[in-house]
Amino acid sequence: MTRSPRRSRRLLLAAPAAAVLLGLAACGGTAAAGGGGGDDGGTFRFALASDPSCLNPRVSGNNDAAYPSRQLVDSLTDQDPETGAIKPWLASSFAVNKAATQFTFTLRDGVTFSDGTPLTADVVKQNFDEIISHGAAQAQSLQFLTGYQRTVVVDDTTARVEFGQPNAQFLQATASHFLGLLAPSSLAVDPVNRCDANIVGTGPFVLDHYTRNTEVVETRRAGYAWGSSLWTHTGEAASARLEFKVIPEAAVRSGSLKSGQVDAIGGVPPQDESTITAGGVTLQVRPNPGQVFTLTPNVRRPALKDVRVRQALSLAVDRASVVKAALSPSYKPATSPVASTTPGYVDLSSRLTYDPERAKTLLDAAGWVPGADGIREKDGQRLTLVTYWATNFNPNQAALELIQQQARQVGIEIDLNSVPIGELQAKLATGDFDLSWGNSTRPDPDILRNTYWRDGTAPYGITDAALVKALKGQQTTVDARSRAADAATAQKVIVDQALGVPVFELTTVLGLRPGVTGVRFDSYSRLQLVAAAATRS
Amino acid sequence: MSAATLDPRVDPVRRSTAPVLARLPAPGVVLAAAWLVLVVLAAAAPTLLSGTDPYAADTGALLQPPSAHHWFGTDQIGRDLYSRVVHGSSLSLRATLVAVAVGVCLGAAVGLVAGAAGGWVDAVLMRLVDVLLAIPSLLLSLAIITVLGFGTLNVAVAVGFGSVAACARVMRAEVLRVHGSTYVEASASLGVRRPTVLLRHVLPNAAGPVLVLAALDFGTAVLAVSSLSFLGYGAKPPTPEWGSLVASGRDFLGSGWWLTTLPGLVIVATVLAANRLARALEGRREGDLR
Repeated sequence: MTRSPRRSRRLLLAAPAAAVLLGLAACGGTAAAGGGGGDDGGTFRFALASDPSCLNPRVSGNNDAAYPSRQLVDSLTDQDPETGAIKPWLASSFAVNKAATQFTFTLRDGVTFSDGTPLTADVVKQNFDEIISHGAAQAQSLQFLTGYQRTVVVDDTTARVEFGQPNAQFLQATASHFLGLLAPSSLAVDPVNRCDANIVGTGPFVLDHYTRNTEVVETRRAGYAWGSSLWTHTGEAASARLEFKVIPEAAVRSGSLKSGQVDAIGGVPPQDESTITAGGVTLQVRPNPGQVFTLTPNVRRPALKDVRVRQALSLAVDRASVVKAALSPSYKPATSPVASTTPGYVDLSSRLTYDPERAKTLLDAAGWVPGADGIREKDGQRLTLVTYWATNFNPNQAALELIQQQARQVGIEIDLNSVPIGELQAKLATGDFDLSWGNSTRPDPDILRNTYWRDGTAPYGITDAALVKALKGQQTTVDARSRAADAATAQKVIVDQALGVPVFELTTVLGLRPGVTGVRFDSYSRLQLVAAAATRS
Repeated sequence: MSAATLDPRVDPVRRSTAPVLARLPAPGVVLAAAWLVLVVLAAAAPTLLSGTDPYAADTGALLQPPSAHHWFGTDQIGRDLYSRVVHGSSLSLRATLVAVAVGVCLGAAVGLVAGAAGGWVDAVLMRLVDVLLAIPSLLLSLAIITVLGFGTLNVAVAVGFGSVAACARVMRAEVLRVHGSTYVEASASLGVRRPTVLLRHVLPNAAGPVLVLAALDFGTAVLAVSSLSFLGYGAKPPTPEWGSLVASGRDFLGSGWWLTTLPGLVIVATVLAANRLARALEGRREGDLR
């Protein structure tokens, strides 16, 4: 009787020891530089920070899904990362009517999908129709087609997309990978079966295979000759093969890069930046455009209905010290609800200051007085803000724990609850929350409409007339200057009314091994790998 | 707490308490006991061992290695790790105790009923226990926690469920052994009602080995509770817990080894100490029985 428990005990004790050994093995790595790849341009190996889970460009919203997915499809237009201007890609020219309801695209000649079918105006129509017909399964793309009526096939190379209401953001959306064009054979497949196969595009790479939680392998598309007008690289991709390895452990990812097992990594852990650059690795850094990481209050809640409480929260957050402690010098504190790389961004840093004393004064004025443990109370209610956040970005937890401490200094208690990223929106939709923490990437001011208002369906209960007017305004005009004016108004209202408490800009930090060239950021700060190559010494 | 403290009037086999004091405990046992006393002290009165606030972030002292000022160093947002480990022990230890209690109480109840009732009740209960034994206990705990939801108490209950089967088996075997004793037969023939016989005579005399098993379980429960909180099923951040401390430090293996190593060593030391002490107890019991 005493034998068997003793043996199981020994096994249990052996388990952590084995784990430690495995960890050490992973850290040690092997100096495998020089391995892999043939002579035909070789293999480019990239380590992803999480499993992409679905490569269908229509739904691949997060960075790690977008990286492999972006290489498979081309878009009608491309967006200049510097200026935000929309430039030709698969559409050699395009035009928008004044009311922002009709978008006409003239297609480039000679473009074919990897299954051999040519790109025609009818295929463009099929692409947009399919998004509408499979709307629920591809909500990430459906949001760009609000008010879609039809696509008119004017002739073989001309397609006109028509909307029943102004939809100015649509032109930018055609530059995103979400609306990248798929072949008819691919559209015939139900979206649920388009995550690890059946993705046929015109892109510089073709999907070879995707093994969940392991890797995505793509091969060079022979005869590719329709790169974006913004690229300096022309013709076929520089590397014959792309391998995206899924390496979720941050320390292992850094180790793989240092040891040369991969050529580049995404999601460089902020704390490892200085050690890996010391080893010769270069960092390629760009803030993600769109909504920065923000605490967004639910203004339906009695406490947060009061603008003074929201402003106090914003004043209590010491953005510079969050960046210093939880992140790295590659990241910047937020200076607006949108990141500095977003078209239409205005610098509002003078209104996003750290002033705990003023925060306390505001809370006093709002009737919240400190209780026994320092947390403020009013009518027997504690000032506890239930916050939901997703674990999609590693430093989130440290950043939020620090913000929690800072809020406590002025008497606000933040109750942190993490949920998987896929469940966050559903959780917020119940309305049972005080704050949500998150960001969303898009190089267009329309991101503000989609985040804060969503035509009245956003979970935060925002009804501010000035904000709604500005958000509607930017949607109804294609005139860049008047869109920018509306976007500026929206940003100011959000900051002044503290309808969002922006904290820091999500920044894409890539680590590149020496000898890696041609890794380019598109306007979303995501990878365009057509020119990427790794020379191995 | 085992044989020596049990009611001696009932079981003549166990009346060998005299040489216990003469036997001096081994140094390892003393060390183990001292460590456990320290851990219990940390859990009961953490402020005695650490005066620092485990939540206070100091952005001027990020990722500092262990020093005289910060014994275990500081974490990525400048909190004192030693203080977090000390304050974390209360939650980890409480969860462990709940886990062991759930395992022992439920297991003992199942074993007692099965052993005493016999027949088809015994057969059904023991086959259920066999099914439980067929599933690795940590896996079983994981399944239970996904049903119960996250949180330290749920982790504890889930871990407890994982050890029900072993307890039930031991209890049943003991009940069968005691059940045939003359004093049980005697009290039954005197007309004592069955439940009273079970509670007054069978349970106390069968409990010894189960309590030793509970002591043995304590070490594995510490480990299981920590594993689950490592996986993120435990307390909400920023509440410190041993397992979650190790988990949050694992991204810093390159820049802050102490974040995983030191809480990890505390867990290892506690598990080892609990096991050493339980083995000593077990040895003494076996000696008593001989």
